[in-house]
Amino acid sequence: MAEATPIVEMRNIKKNFGGVQALRGVDLVLQRNEVLGLVGDNAAGKSTLMKVLSGAYIPDGGEIFIEGKKVHIVNPLDARRLGIEMVYQDLALADNLDVAANVFMGREVASTKLGPISVMNKHHMEQETRRLLDRLKIDISSVRSIVERLSGGQRQAIAIGRATAFNNKVTIMDEPTAALSVTAISKVLDLVRKLKAQGNSIIIISHRLEDIYKVSDRMIVLRQGRKVRECPVVGNLDEFRERVVAYIIGARDDFAERGVN
Amino acid sequence: MRSKGLKMSFIKDAKEIFQQNIREFGMYIALFVIMVIFTITTKGVFISSRNISNLINQTGYIAVLAVGMTLVIIIRHIDLSVGFLAGFLGAVVAHAMVFWHLPEYIAIPLVLGFGVLAGLVTGFLVAQMKIPAFVATLAGWLGYRGALQLATMRTGTIVIPNAAFNAISNGFIPDIPGMGILPGVHKLTLTLGVLVILLFIINSIRIRRKTQSYNFKVLPMELFILKLVLVSALIGGITWVLAGYRGLAWTAVVVLAVLLVYNFIASQTFLGRHIYAVGGNPEAAELSGISVKKITYVVFASMGMLSGLSGIMFASRLQSASTRAGTLFELDAIAAAFVGGVSASGGVGKVTGSVIGAFVMMSLTSGMNLMGIDISYQYIVRATVLAAAVVFDVATRARGK
Repeated sequence: MAEATPIVEMRNIKKNFGGVQALRGVDLVLQRNEVLGLVGDNAAGKSTLMKVLSGAYIPDGGEIFIEGKKVHIVNPLDARRLGIEMVYQDLALADNLDVAANVFMGREVASTKLGPISVMNKHHMEQETRRLLDRLKIDISSVRSIVERLSGGQRQAIAIGRATAFNNKVTIMDEPTAALSVTAISKVLDLVRKLKAQGNSIIIISHRLEDIYKVSDRMIVLRQGRKVRECPVVGNLDEFRERVVAYIIGARDDFAERGVN
Repeated sequence: MRSKGLKMSFIKDAKEIFQQNIREFGMYIALFVIMVIFTITTKGVFISSRNISNLINQTGYIAVLAVGMTLVIIIRHIDLSVGFLAGFLGAVVAHAMVFWHLPEYIAIPLVLGFGVLAGLVTGFLVAQMKIPAFVATLAGWLGYRGALQLATMRTGTIVIPNAAFNAISNGFIPDIPGMGILPGVHKLTLTLGVLVILLFIINSIRIRRKTQSYNFKVLPMELFILKLVLVSALIGGITWVLAGYRGLAWTAVVVLAVLLVYNFIASQTFLGRHIYAVGGNPEAAELSGISVKKITYVVFASMGMLSGLSGIMFASRLQSASTRAGTLFELDAIAAAFVGGVSASGGVGKVTGSVIGAFVMMSLTSGMNLMGIDISYQYIVRATVLAAAVVFDVATRARGK
């Protein structure tokens, strides 16, 4: 198949924090309707790279193309307008609000406007939330449940559902399975598969190679701010794990000639 | 089949509802118990029309502060400056009417505007300069105290002659004239009370039908009727007591208006939703496109405006601006909010609760005054109630998790 225009292309992205080079010129390509795994040790630059894409960080160098067009993303709103949504690791949910309020946080729907005061259309938001939960088969009995009272898996599902509620194109998930029980993890992975089946393009950051193996089409390994491996996810789990770990700890490096540091 | 198990299911439902809403109910029960105790210990003087009317007039200027403070605490801040700001703005309104010869209908909006400005200054320090609200408003506490003393330095207490202005915290709504029935009873108050009860019942039924049509859980019918009866009896009781003296105080009208507006904003508008979102998780709110800065400005500006209103109500109550006006109001307002179920960790609380909280605290003062209890014991009792309210709040919250 001829190479279609990738939905996301990042070229030579650089980011420094003071004297620390967090990203030393990283390239990343995400094809349409693909699940891309992003792995690496702590401080390898995975989250930094994704925060550049989601607008939380402004890069010091490099270019970003969305569907072939060069873009400048300087804040989360820019990214959101381009259809890029990020599910943050620390769950960007407000615990004191209910499910519907969290899904529509910052994107409330108005019924009427009294000058500068917009009155919420709660019924519409609740219905849409119900529809979203049903579409993604997220098991929560009432959209009026306060998020604080839900389980870790349910909360993660809401965080992901919220990111994908408004016809986004790219979903970035930062450690979506960290700190979850085994059953909750398999539910979150099911959710990833469902999103892919519904046409979403997804980037997953995870420490759990097993999870990456289960849902990803392709993967990129970062180490010390550089890409050291890019490959399709194939073969059996043990081989996969062994090979990837070698790249994570620095025993192997496919792009060594470029890494003149 | 249903009628057989009716009593059992009724008790079970009631228990469940009670447990789920224990925090909200707790406060109403506390207010009720306090009122009953004082009514017994004062041989009925506490519940007399005259005392309740007084109680409302005394609570008004704290209640409006507590409403603003609720929002400030919800977004995880605090405002210590509101007491002396209220005092200072009370002096300004007196100045405006007495020395600048402005009519009250210009002086009052002017001072409310000054309040908004003062609130924006606090907002600037907190949102823009990132100074912790405790420190920024402590500076305000000192500054407005100085400003109050400056404003009253040459004149001392400024006596306010405007009758209409003084009616805000001393007057009552007029009665329907020329009706022979029920002498000694305030007819308009009674009519309003009946209207409110009717509106409440109609509205409750409407909401219940709507909620049912959306397939959400509603109260079981028996409990729903019980709730209607209890609330109607409560409104009816208060109306009857008030109608027995001089009717509904203007203060009550002002507090109710503030309460209605703020309750609507907090529960039905984008602004309210954003305030709670910022309180629940500021980082999440920011990432969702809500400007935490803007919300902080708005909340402190509203607090400033309500401080102005509180100052106006207190000046009206004393019919003068005094050098010590506003002393310790801020702590009364904060206590009222916490007693009213606002969470110290932010994100949780209702403006209605804080107003009830203000009435709980003022009932304690009023009741103990009537009993002739020494002021030193009064402080200790109020301290205990405040601590107990917060302990109750934390305990019920922990269990809910």
